[in-house]
Amino acid sequence: MRSTAETLAAPALEVRRLTASYSSRPVLWDVDATFPMGALSAIVGPNGAGKSTLLKAALGLIATDAGQALIQGRPVKTSRDRVAYVPQRDAVDWDFPITVREVVEMGRYAQIGWVRRVQRSDQTLVADCLERVGMAAYASRQIGQLSGGQRQRVFIARALAQQAQVMVMDEPFAGVDARTEADILGLLQELRNEGRAVIVVHHDLGTVRAAFDWVLLLNVRAIAAGPVADVLTPETLRRAYGAAGGLETEEQEPRWAA
Amino acid sequence: MGSLIDLLPLAYPDAVVVVGAALLGMTAGALGVFAVLRERSLVGDALAHSALPGVAVAFLVTGAKDVGTLLAGAACAGIVGALMMVGIERTSRIRPDAAIGVVLSSFFSLGIVLLTYIASTNNANQAGLEKYLFGQAAGLLERDLIVMAILSAISLTLVALLFRALKTTLFDPNFAGSVGLPVRVLEVAMTALLVVAVIVGLRTVGAILMVAMLVVPTVAARQLAGRLAVVLPVSALIGAVVGVTGALLSARAELPTGPVIVLVGFLVVMACVLLAPGRGVIWRARKLARDRRRTLTEGVMVDIETAIHAGPPPTAAELALVSGRDPRVLRRVLRRLDREGMLARDGDRLHLSEIGAAAAHAVLERRNLWSAWLEHGWQLQLPDAREPNPSDLRASLGDHYADRLQALAVKES
Repeated sequence: MRSTAETLAAPALEVRRLTASYSSRPVLWDVDATFPMGALSAIVGPNGAGKSTLLKAALGLIATDAGQALIQGRPVKTSRDRVAYVPQRDAVDWDFPITVREVVEMGRYAQIGWVRRVQRSDQTLVADCLERVGMAAYASRQIGQLSGGQRQRVFIARALAQQAQVMVMDEPFAGVDARTEADILGLLQELRNEGRAVIVVHHDLGTVRAAFDWVLLLNVRAIAAGPVADVLTPETLRRAYGAAGGLETEEQEPRWAA
Repeated sequence: MGSLIDLLPLAYPDAVVVVGAALLGMTAGALGVFAVLRERSLVGDALAHSALPGVAVAFLVTGAKDVGTLLAGAACAGIVGALMMVGIERTSRIRPDAAIGVVLSSFFSLGIVLLTYIASTNNANQAGLEKYLFGQAAGLLERDLIVMAILSAISLTLVALLFRALKTTLFDPNFAGSVGLPVRVLEVAMTALLVVAVIVGLRTVGAILMVAMLVVPTVAARQLAGRLAVVLPVSALIGAVVGVTGALLSARAELPTGPVIVLVGFLVVMACVLLAPGRGVIWRARKLARDRRRTLTEGVMVDIETAIHAGPPPTAAELALVSGRDPRVLRRVLRRLDREGMLARDGDRLHLSEIGAAAAHAVLERRNLWSAWLEHGWQLQLPDAREPNPSDLRASLGDHYADRLQALAVKES
């Protein structure tokens, strides 16, 4: 058993020499990276850089060729209660017969147990999480009736319900409207300020610069990792994005209330 | 089991058929959910077809004709078929649908070859094996029912115990894995449950049509219910009703049981797909037609209002020209507006009546509010995830925010 102090000092997520491949093509090659607690971290890189794969491999959802992942200094297998994962939104069937409240309750199942009744305290927590993402009025709705942004909010509410110290999100901003993006970003910053770690796969370098603390630049290999200002230099971006490193000059989309 | 059969106000053979069909329908209905919601309906079909050679081999090996032995053979063959599908999918570049096609047709062919061979041996026991093709409810024995009842009880208890884990895995396997559920094991369990459903129904419905008993009740139940915890029992109930009705009808009319059950099921599905409130085809078509008609009517009212403000009241022909609407469509809308008392005609020329003008103003206000939302929505800082509904922004945003939006738009102009 490690001491509490040691756990606190350990990084939220650490991957060591992680290698994974689909058939014979490596998608992740010898990736070392750490993500600190109390920080909003982004994983950025071009399409096909292995960003989503890194998350799945770190959480043990897909087979890896080599390497390991630690959550707060411990193997993922023994620390599942410390990490909440938000998968890509379009990885699920949104016509599934389930209500918003039930989806968020899923975040409690691992703690409640898979057979025991849902307690009053869990119901209260689920209601609070829905309130926090602004979806309290939609608790009894079918998930199929929600907009894309609302669906993302439900997924985040489910992760909140897990009450984990480390939150890992795969493209939470993909395909959501500007208002939802601003709201979610605000929420993630609140979570960071509570001392949790929030790790997000993201596309938009502009938002990363403006709002994130820590970044991993990935293109199959880890190009650079660290505080945003140190990592996102023209040099590293060119190495990650190749000739298309001209992203630098690309005009920023105007954002609502961002 | 005997007492249950005695309780039914039916002749003994009919009562056996009813209990058997009810068990089959209930089990297949509930377990079929795990095929349909995983988008694996055809896996159920392949499992049923794979069961046929199992029946034949079991007969060849044991020479016995009792349902228990034959169904054990069917279960083994079903599992082999399932493993082959997964194996082909994983190890080759063949797509799942093609893997299903290969396994289904080859196992079924093997079954037919074996059954034909058995028929040619003139074994006195072999009469009746062909029932496993199209199914026959008549001739079920009480001890067959006991086997079926035990299998249903075990599998439905398992579903009840694993309900949350199964629901989570079905809905979001990635998330299920991240909280430590054994996703692979659960997926295998779901396929195993399908095998159980198939063997419970094989004797009554037959290998060829068994898939219908897996799919039909779920499709119907999904139309009626919005939560898995409700879909499951409703599907079981629909399955039982369909099974019993079909089995009784086929017994009376001396038709093969499987096809009659499936035809009854088809009627139920059609009724649910067409008529279900909210999800039904008719309900949706009527809503769409209503919305279109409303948009059209409102558009014409606004056209008239705008034209009156711009100059002399327009004739119907002028209105068609200005608005670019099909004159025939326009005439129809004008007739409707007339009926509703929205129009005041002045010879050829069109006015709006008092209520017509009020309605047109309400439409214009809604449109203005919508354009105000597009322009100033971001300044509202809505407190939650409510979404604007373009056709009724005031109701969807609430009066407070609608008023603020109007104020913002006024300040701008």
